[in-house]
Amino acid sequence: MTDTADQAGTGRSKGPDASSTTAPLPKGLPPDASRRLAELEDRPGHKGMFTSDLSVNEFLLIKEVGFHPLGFVMGSSIYHLGIQTRRWSQSQELSKLTEAMYEARQLAMDRMDAEATELGADGVVGVRLDVNYYEWGADTAEFIAVGTAVKAEDGRSYRNRQGKPFTSDLSGQDFWVLMQTGHVPLGLVMGTCVYHIAHRGLGQTVRAAGRNVELPNFTQALYEARELAMTRMQDEANELEASGIVGVRLEEKSHMWGAHTIEFLSLGTAVARSTGDFTIPQPKTIISLDG
Amino acid sequence: MTIRDEVRQAVTALAAPPPPTSGGAIRGTTSDLTIDEMLLLHSAGWEPVDFVYGISWWSVPWGAWQWTTGEVQEASSAFAGAATQAAKQLRESCERAGGTGVLGVEVGVRVSSHHVAIELSGTAVRRVRADQHRFEFVSDLSARDFVLLDRAGWWPLGIAAGASFVIAPRRTAREWASQQGQNAELPNLTQALYLARERAMERMQRSGTTMKADGIVAVKLREGRASSSVRVIQFVAIGTGVRLRTASHRSIAPEMVVPLDERLRQFDVKSLRGSSPE
Repeated sequence: MTDTADQAGTGRSKGPDASSTTAPLPKGLPPDASRRLAELEDRPGHKGMFTSDLSVNEFLLIKEVGFHPLGFVMGSSIYHLGIQTRRWSQSQELSKLTEAMYEARQLAMDRMDAEATELGADGVVGVRLDVNYYEWGADTAEFIAVGTAVKAEDGRSYRNRQGKPFTSDLSGQDFWVLMQTGHVPLGLVMGTCVYHIAHRGLGQTVRAAGRNVELPNFTQALYEARELAMTRMQDEANELEASGIVGVRLEEKSHMWGAHTIEFLSLGTAVARSTGDFTIPQPKTIISLDG
Repeated sequence: MTIRDEVRQAVTALAAPPPPTSGGAIRGTTSDLTIDEMLLLHSAGWEPVDFVYGISWWSVPWGAWQWTTGEVQEASSAFAGAATQAAKQLRESCERAGGTGVLGVEVGVRVSSHHVAIELSGTAVRRVRADQHRFEFVSDLSARDFVLLDRAGWWPLGIAAGASFVIAPRRTAREWASQQGQNAELPNLTQALYLARERAMERMQRSGTTMKADGIVAVKLREGRASSSVRVIQFVAIGTGVRLRTASHRSIAPEMVVPLDERLRQFDVKSLRGSSPE
């Protein structure tokens, strides 16, 4: 299944250096960002500090599993989405839009990665991906990735096999549970597919009027679009040599394209078993007596 | 009476000293904490005292939004001024009420073409056995977060905030034409907004450094349209500065539990803070 798709949209480099263990140089971090990040770090004559968008609960749980937050990191990209003609009566993937949605998110995530690398982080937790639209930008959207860069306190490296800090959209609570069960996150993986769903022809509409029938073209189109998005996400996880993907979400949005064009976005955190023996603690069952 | 006059009147009324209390006893407690939060606070040796405010309005010179490109410096400095002033008022109001700290602070930021207004409101608290009356902290954390932090050896210091206002640059006709129908990143827009976000964060960090914090937790990055022009975007970063008070971080040793209730009750900070008027 994982070998079938990936015709369009996945722009991640698959070159030989993707697997090298050295940290890639952050590319094009703007000076203002470098200055802000430099202020976070300890150096002679300057006491650094951390910033984090984690709640107090999450902060304490991250500390509990031996990580310390380093800084709030982010990346963004304002992207002009291209135009692709759609055939009214044909279901098809709009590969140009798929590419745009993927690349813009990737740019935002790469910048967030670069900020985390600059801080010497092992990973980024609580990653959120957002899309903003502004009134002044027709066909443009801002893609944002934010999260909290963390570093292991025991000095062990938790970077993934691409030498990059791991990224994860898990909350502090989920991260704690994941570590308790002997897994480590490898990276936030995503797959997207922008799909145009054919309108029904006149004959079909008339035949279906007043009856209970399945609408095969709608069913098939939605099914295929979801499969494409999921497959692409799985391909990314395979590249990271993950043993699984947790916390998968499948989001459907029409953005600004009208009802028949939908983006299917699947997102999840690729994980792998960590070395060493782990016994999963038996959770205590409770019944609360209130309410 | 205009709104401005009303606000002035309200501010004067708030600034006036409270009616004298008999025998130095604290008046009846007013607080927006729930019973659960009160209990938790008491368990940590604290009690609520009064509901306190700090409000500050700063004017932005006429024309600041229109005749600049890039960052709107006047608005950013008005924000910084209003934030400092509002925090000072909140602190004074807390001290007048006999508190030594403020919890659960709601931060309201209003920006219009002529002014920046910052409104802080929260519950003043004090130690039950008060041997000292030194002012200790302001925080937008809930009472529960405060107790948890305290258990882990951390202590809140104050609210760190920073803002930046940016006018989104226009694309040139040539750029616009070359991008029609294409997939392309817009570098100047990306950079303008990216830098504005970074600046808001940087200013928040500076205010954290000023209070000698080890870190800032629960950072919220708010963004949206500012003033009447659609091209002006505001970024506001707010968090609570914390410091490690003990020699090292203390483990809170959480346990895994599975609630067997049919209806899983999700924890909601809003519900702990009581219903807010908004």
